[in-house]
Amino acid sequence: MSAVTSPAREASTGISARTVNRIVIYGLLALFALFYLMPLFVMLVTSFKTMDEIQNGNMLALPQSPTLEPWFKAWGETCVGLTCAGIKGYFWNSIKMVVPAVLISTLLGALNGYVLTKWRFRGHTLVFGLMLFACFIPFQSVLLPMATILGSLGRFGVTLQNSTGFSFGLGNPTVNLVFVHVVYGLGFTTLFFRNYYEAFPTELIKAAQVDGASFFQIFRRIMLPNSMPIFVVTVIYQFTNIWNDFLFASAYAGTGDAMPMTVALNNVVNTSTGVVEYNVNMAAAMIAALPTLLVYVVAGRYFVRGLMAGAVKG
Amino acid sequence: MAFLEIDGLRKRFGTVEILKGIDVELEKGGFLVLVGPSGCGKSTLLNTIAGLENITEGEIRVDGRAINDLHPSKRDIAMVFQSYALYPNMTVAGNISFGMEMRGVPAEERQKAIDKVAKVLQIGHLLQRKPSQLSGGQRQRVAMGRALVRDPKLFLFDEPLSNLDAKLRVDMRIEIKRLHATTGTTIVYVTHDQIEAMTLATKIAVMRDGEVQQFGTPAEIYNNPTNIFVADFMGSPAMNLVPATIGGNGSGLSVVLQRDGREPISLPLAGAPTGLSAFKDKQIIFGVRPEALTDPEGAERNASNIATADCHIEVIEPAGSDTFAVTNLGGKAVVARLRADAKIQPGTITPLAFNLTKAVFFDPATEKRIL
Repeated sequence: MSAVTSPAREASTGISARTVNRIVIYGLLALFALFYLMPLFVMLVTSFKTMDEIQNGNMLALPQSPTLEPWFKAWGETCVGLTCAGIKGYFWNSIKMVVPAVLISTLLGALNGYVLTKWRFRGHTLVFGLMLFACFIPFQSVLLPMATILGSLGRFGVTLQNSTGFSFGLGNPTVNLVFVHVVYGLGFTTLFFRNYYEAFPTELIKAAQVDGASFFQIFRRIMLPNSMPIFVVTVIYQFTNIWNDFLFASAYAGTGDAMPMTVALNNVVNTSTGVVEYNVNMAAAMIAALPTLLVYVVAGRYFVRGLMAGAVKG
Repeated sequence: MAFLEIDGLRKRFGTVEILKGIDVELEKGGFLVLVGPSGCGKSTLLNTIAGLENITEGEIRVDGRAINDLHPSKRDIAMVFQSYALYPNMTVAGNISFGMEMRGVPAEERQKAIDKVAKVLQIGHLLQRKPSQLSGGQRQRVAMGRALVRDPKLFLFDEPLSNLDAKLRVDMRIEIKRLHATTGTTIVYVTHDQIEAMTLATKIAVMRDGEVQQFGTPAEIYNNPTNIFVADFMGSPAMNLVPATIGGNGSGLSVVLQRDGREPISLPLAGAPTGLSAFKDKQIIFGVRPEALTDPEGAERNASNIATADCHIEVIEPAGSDTFAVTNLGGKAVVARLRADAKIQPGTITPLAFNLTKAVFFDPATEKRIL
């Protein structure tokens, strides 16, 4: 009898041990998730509260009388530095800067990856190694040299303006930021595309050559249509990085009308006069975070799939 | 003057020589198969003809025109790749017409050409599908369609059947042969499969280490191999290559094969190659194909020189159409091909007939054929 019961008892303690393990694991995970989501919750809740409620109530409490007033104020009325026209202008500044920077750096990265894998030349590994190196350079160390370069470009722009009547955008802070982000994004975009194209069948390029397609025709008709996953990954990565960038934005466009969203948000929050309008600040911060959230929601499933594809093949 | 001429072609990567002076010719409408083990340079040779790789020395001429400095698209060639290399983002019709599109052929003409090729290859119902929706055999057809639609001077095939399963491979092989017969195109075909080479070719070039070992018709290659490599590589089951000595009794020569524990077999040679007398009492390699070593009843009636010897049968392999018997001669396993219903038992001593008119002899030092 004992021989029969003892394994059964062991089994039952085994099950209960597993259950305990489960509870501990899921409990911890839930706790971490809660901890991680707490700031977002506080921001979201605060942005819908009135100032009275914020000053008198509990930070974690739900809004008693939810209002969209702070969101409208943040968008159209709040003061950034000395001008009080809301953050909407700066939101569009960011869009105008991010969209070209993302598209240009992604397309150039794709072109680099294409050349580095399918049109190999002597020393291609060295070139790729140097481009990879750009991924590891701390951006603080390039602030001053880049400022010097942008300064000379600006002076060249003035010269062009005087002689031809058109500066070609040189010296414009938005163009400067696009330039900086393209240059520093190239390392990453090239890395992504090179690794993706490394596994891309070379026979397709050979077949296209026999069919008479040129270098750019092969790129446009064969490579790009088959690069959707890595294209999405790169766009998400670049969009998030460039949109969230504060360092370059404050260094090269920290004042004036071309100021991007991140700098403007900082100026909203850092006002030293009057009452601190927490609800407006939180709403402004939420608005600043929305585009990256949107990009993740729309293209997120490609992001995971693209990273996985790279992981398996790379 | 031949249609395709390759003259003294050399290809180096740095100091490594991949192709060491290739000379090959092919008449118009011919089917040239480049065959050899992997790494022998056969695919590189095909790529140099296609223009996908540069050559270091030599010349390639098609129809009297040197093409070795032209871009692949200007050579008037079409190529079928091992992986088919169908563009995954285009439909079958798009794949077939891509080359014409690149050359600026008007849309109506493209459509006509697509329809014509689709009819020949019976892929009309697949034209709007993407390559990912096709089976292996269908992809193979589309890849051939893409090549056919150009109507080129020269077709290049790079191991086109190696990704198919065994049955489909045989079907497609026949299909290619039929296509060649009906269209009369000139084809260069790379394979490592010697059966494909034998069945398809009008000319075979057997390659090893960047050199052509032998160039000739399938029958020449099979019956008169110039060296041990060619003899061993072509044919399935492979030719039996047995160390032997040349003996002589009176006027005629004989070949003497050693056996374990029993006295050697001596087979008298009538009409032996003249070069063989120099090897009297010396070691040679005796080559005999399995079908030239059979049971006495199954031996070829009108062969002039058949010798029979008792052999110890070690293993029997009934293959359905034939029965293969393995015996041991000169320290090597030797395969004999018998009729399917031959009454033979493993472990017994049975007479086997050697068809010595089909036998070949090699010099063990140079590995060359003794003529």
